Amino acid sequence: MLNYLIRRLLYAVPILLGVIFLTFLLFRVVNTPEHAAINALGPKSSVAAREEWIENNGRNLPLYRQLATHVKQLGTFDFQPSTVTKRPMGETFLAGVGPSLCVTLPGFILGLWLALVFSLYQVFVRHSAADRTITLFCVAMMSVPTMVYIIFGQAVVALGLGWFPVSGFHSGLDGVRFLVLPVCIMAIAGLGYDARMFRAVFLEEIAQDYVRTAHAKGLPATRVLGRHVLKNGLIALITLTVGQLPKLIMGTLLIESFFGIPGIGNVMVLGIQTSDEPVVLACVFLGSLFYLAALILTDFLYAAADPRIRLS
Amino acid sequence: MDYLSHWLTQDLLLVLGLGGVATMLTRAARSERWSRAWTRFRGDRTGIIALCVVCLYLFIGALETFRVPVGGGDTKSLLDFVVGNIPDERSYSAPFANQVLTDTKAQPDPLNSSRHLLGTNQLGKDVFVQTLKACRTALIIGGFTSAIYIPLGALFGILAGYFRRWVDDLIQYVYSTLASIPEILLLVSILFVLGQGLGSISIALGVTGWVGLCRLIRGETMRQSERSYITAARALGQSHWNIITRHLLPNVMHLVLINFVLGFSGIVLTEAILSYLGVGCPVGTASWGVMIDSGRSELSRDPVVWWNLTAATTALFGLVLSLNLLGDSLRKAFDPKRG
Amino acid sequence: MAAAVWLAACDNNPHPPALQKTRPDGTPWVVRYQAIREDPRSFDPQYTYDQISRKVVEGVYDTLLEYHPMKTDPYELQPCMLAEMPVKAADGLSYEFRLKEGIKFHDDPCFPGGKGRELVAEDIQYVFQRIADPAVESPFQSTFEECLAGMAETHKAAKESKKLDYATQRVSGVEIIDRYRFRLRLTKQYPQILYWLAYQCTSPVAREAVAYYDGKNGREDFHKFASVGTGPYRIVSYVPRSLVVLERVPNYTTTVFPSDGFPADKAERLKPMAGKALPFIDEIQLSIHHENIPRFVLLRQGYLDLMGVDKDSFNAMVSPMRTLSPEFQNRGMILEPAFEISTFWISFNMDDPVIGKNLKLRQALAYATDSKRYAEIFYAGVAPVATQLLPSGIFGHDRERPRRYPFDLEKGKQMLAEAGYPGGRDKDGKQLELTLTGQGAGSEERQRMEFDQNCFEQLGIKVKANPVTFARLQDIEDRGDFQICTTTGWGADYPDPENYFMLFYSKNVSPVGKNYFRFRHAEYDRLFEKMVVTENGPERLEMTRNLQQILDDECPMIPTFHKAQYLSVQPWAPLTHNNLMYEVDGGHKYLVTDTVMRERLQREWNHPVLWPLFVLGGCIVAGVGAFIRGVRRSKNQTV
Repeated sequence: MLNYLIRRLLYAVPILLGVIFLTFLLFRVVNTPEHAAINALGPKSSVAAREEWIENNGRNLPLYRQLATHVKQLGTFDFQPSTVTKRPMGETFLAGVGPSLCVTLPGFILGLWLALVFSLYQVFVRHSAADRTITLFCVAMMSVPTMVYIIFGQAVVALGLGWFPVSGFHSGLDGVRFLVLPVCIMAIAGLGYDARMFRAVFLEEIAQDYVRTAHAKGLPATRVLGRHVLKNGLIALITLTVGQLPKLIMGTLLIESFFGIPGIGNVMVLGIQTSDEPVVLACVFLGSLFYLAALILTDFLYAAADPRIRLS
Repeated sequence: MDYLSHWLTQDLLLVLGLGGVATMLTRAARSERWSRAWTRFRGDRTGIIALCVVCLYLFIGALETFRVPVGGGDTKSLLDFVVGNIPDERSYSAPFANQVLTDTKAQPDPLNSSRHLLGTNQLGKDVFVQTLKACRTALIIGGFTSAIYIPLGALFGILAGYFRRWVDDLIQYVYSTLASIPEILLLVSILFVLGQGLGSISIALGVTGWVGLCRLIRGETMRQSERSYITAARALGQSHWNIITRHLLPNVMHLVLINFVLGFSGIVLTEAILSYLGVGCPVGTASWGVMIDSGRSELSRDPVVWWNLTAATTALFGLVLSLNLLGDSLRKAFDPKRG
Repeated sequence: MAAAVWLAACDNNPHPPALQKTRPDGTPWVVRYQAIREDPRSFDPQYTYDQISRKVVEGVYDTLLEYHPMKTDPYELQPCMLAEMPVKAADGLSYEFRLKEGIKFHDDPCFPGGKGRELVAEDIQYVFQRIADPAVESPFQSTFEECLAGMAETHKAAKESKKLDYATQRVSGVEIIDRYRFRLRLTKQYPQILYWLAYQCTSPVAREAVAYYDGKNGREDFHKFASVGTGPYRIVSYVPRSLVVLERVPNYTTTVFPSDGFPADKAERLKPMAGKALPFIDEIQLSIHHENIPRFVLLRQGYLDLMGVDKDSFNAMVSPMRTLSPEFQNRGMILEPAFEISTFWISFNMDDPVIGKNLKLRQALAYATDSKRYAEIFYAGVAPVATQLLPSGIFGHDRERPRRYPFDLEKGKQMLAEAGYPGGRDKDGKQLELTLTGQGAGSEERQRMEFDQNCFEQLGIKVKANPVTFARLQDIEDRGDFQICTTTGWGADYPDPENYFMLFYSKNVSPVGKNYFRFRHAEYDRLFEKMVVTENGPERLEMTRNLQQILDDECPMIPTFHKAQYLSVQPWAPLTHNNLMYEVDGGHKYLVTDTVMRERLQREWNHPVLWPLFVLGGCIVAGVGAFIRGVRRSKNQTV
């Protein structure tokens, strides 16, 4: 077990290095030192000031030396501050994780729960008209861009009906009213895909021999489905859903930026729109880190849930 | 000259790509698996309808793609001939509007009434025509992207699955690295490097998009490699190239096809997000993503400008939905047990 | 439980329930709600140069001079922290200043005992030292280097010694006369320096604060988001990407409400306020919204006190007759036009072999530019079409001046033929292709580019649009890597014609200065140099006319429009100043808000529509019913 863990962690290191190298290269190529300086100093700054900035920030060094510094900084989690806001990235992330989770965690759980309910129901009534209708419905829901859900939600539910504030964020219980709409949109936007996938997983499970055996023993269908199929199907679902955990921490780009939630997704959108290089690089690095961590976690959960799989 | 270079750079490539896909499909279709799938697919009503809808979009896209010279060095697409000369307005106009707004007050339209089926956009262009023209943009992006990521994904997948060992390790390393970068950030950074344009979008989407297909093909190739026919072929001393092209490729082609159809819909949806992030289509190109993006502020106008957003969403929805349904039907046809 | 969450949530008020806070005298605490588009970049007045940060720090840092809040045509300076207007020496090379006595810095832990100390002349020396300090990265350093004696030397010395020693490396041009008096010595005549003293970049900061807020041990970094000033407000909280809260400082006495210059339509309302203590509002909440829809919706619901009506929300509130729509009129909302001091243009690169050497071609493009329609589409017709370089509010702006190249496609085509491209083709029959570079991040900006592209293409030429990010556009302009540039313009740093005409001065050619047109004209330079040092008067007016004439003749750019918008003002928060140098919704200390009226109207305007809730509930019940039935039925079915 421990051996396996160590090996997985060691395997993650070259991947992380690859990620850093690739993104660093991409961004340093796009963002010439001059762009970075303009971003940092503003459009009306003088050329002399920009040159000075470039020198002070080591942007005139050869690329490999910049890369070395960059890797060292990331390795020690010593991120460069944003060129636009000057905020240290560590602080920005810590401040952003909370709001991001406030939206994504309930949205994720609600979406998961809804998808489970729908897919189980479909398995109950499989191959019937209701099943087909729900499948069609799911495919239809998948075919609408997330942005349309958001625009519709803001224009109709928030402005037209006046149920919720249209945008904003507060911590504490008072902030619930801001969260209801984005959470619902997040759950609904992902529902079609999840429900369809869950249904496929459950249907595969139901074709297994043990289900037939259980039924032959005379167990009622609800019990077979509710206990055995659900339990075994969940193993497969773990793989599929744990992979989404890093997304929760990184927030959902569009929802956060439309609803004015000061989470990490919002940081990313702003970073992209203002070509704020340190922000985007840090986001990429942390995103990859979370992703790899989730991958390892998935393997362990998988092994824990299914005794047939051994980690070696 | 302009016309020829335009052809060479865009349309010819597209035609070549489509031709290549068609040849591969016909070759693969000779196998028994494919003909059985085709028989099953013919019985699937949803799939047939979806296929027809996709063909309709293809047709409209093709109309807009083929351009003919109209003298004076200008070109017009076939679509321009079909929709005729719909005049531009000064700015927004509602569907079927029969009044025009001059400086301060509304007056009856002197020409003829209700000439814009779906109204006009901010620059006064007919939304219906723009929606149709955007078909080409979506198809070009989808087509180019597929032309990039499908060969990449299929090739790497087969190589990794067939040769295993260090080839597999290397390919796995490359795609784990790509997969662990948040997709949208990778896309945006590649687009910043390449600059804007339909080609750049396709390259960016293609470079990031092959990972899923590669994984799938790698798994399938590994399963196939253990089958007796591959072992036999090896024992007979057939070259690797022969085994890959004659035996492995035809046996994974159906996965490629399904992935192509479903992937296409994903690409069309991603384009909409890219437009929001400001790295979408070039200026002046009709695109659903751009239309949806501008719809975001149009909804807060009064009277609400809903037609732009609605038209783009509906058109996009139609294409993506039928692609998804088609993909599902194909999967069912190839693998009736798991469908 | 779901119902409980629902009840808690079903309220669209985005502001937390009013804290039961009262003023020391027992009257209710007045909060004002406004929105900003972006995060401030820093609160350091010597460092920030962007509009948003300026809007935030404007309340915190008083300036030496300030613009009169109501005299705007042309703008006028008045003393703020100075006891009187500065006295200019006979040679025009030095100015003498006297500070008001008794101005205190905000109470803050950085001072001994937590009590703010008095502002003295030595603090002004410190400000200019900070501007010279390479560590502060002040964007204003280059401006003062050119005019203030000793600025360049101090900056250079500090760079050589890697660190500015504030005790010894002083800026020689700032001479301290006594506790409250100081003198600025210039290297050349530069009357515009007074305008810089009305800008936050010269606002005094306390050296104790800079030393204390060093970014260590949990303290903020003064260079980033700490602030200790002498203004009417201080920043009590800043949540990035969400909210900035300003709270009034007790015992602020530096300025009072002015008693002259009231505009005729507001005089009645403003007169009783003359001479009253400032500020009127206790707390200002600036919420940060990047998107348009939320801001507009919040205003409509009454949760914002004031907003600039941008293009998109314009139609919702303003009828085609450019009056407020009935719905908003009934609400008592007021519409105030606000003309920003800015000019936008399409610029040509005069070094470009095709466009720069062919005057007729530039003129042809100018004739093809339909600025009127542009302003109609993108600014709902509020923004005036630009006929000249100078926007209104600046000395030298000529209201009567007609556009030199009015929109006239036929004339444009004729000019194009004379330029050597009849029908858009050169003598070999090849179509002329030009490249149009511009800012193009959002779909709105792309449409603007598409508009210009369409205009030019009507001449029969081909125009390639090259949308780039904001930073890249600046870089392209500096390097001269463009043919035609659009979506660019200039917002005034100060209301003086010099600020605009210097953009075409040959010694300012980019990358040294901001003349990215690369316009070089000997006669223009000579006139410009004379105009800079001339006092406002008929002679100077004549000079600005002549400068404009040269620009018209040479056509290095096509003026398109002056940015303008309407301010929609809630009935409970009428405007008390119309000074755009303060930003559209700045001038915090003059603002007023009637909270009682606001609360009443907010309640009146917001009634949630509840019937869809019942429909939704019905659907859920039906769905659950179907679910149970399906499960029951399948119970007896084989698997």
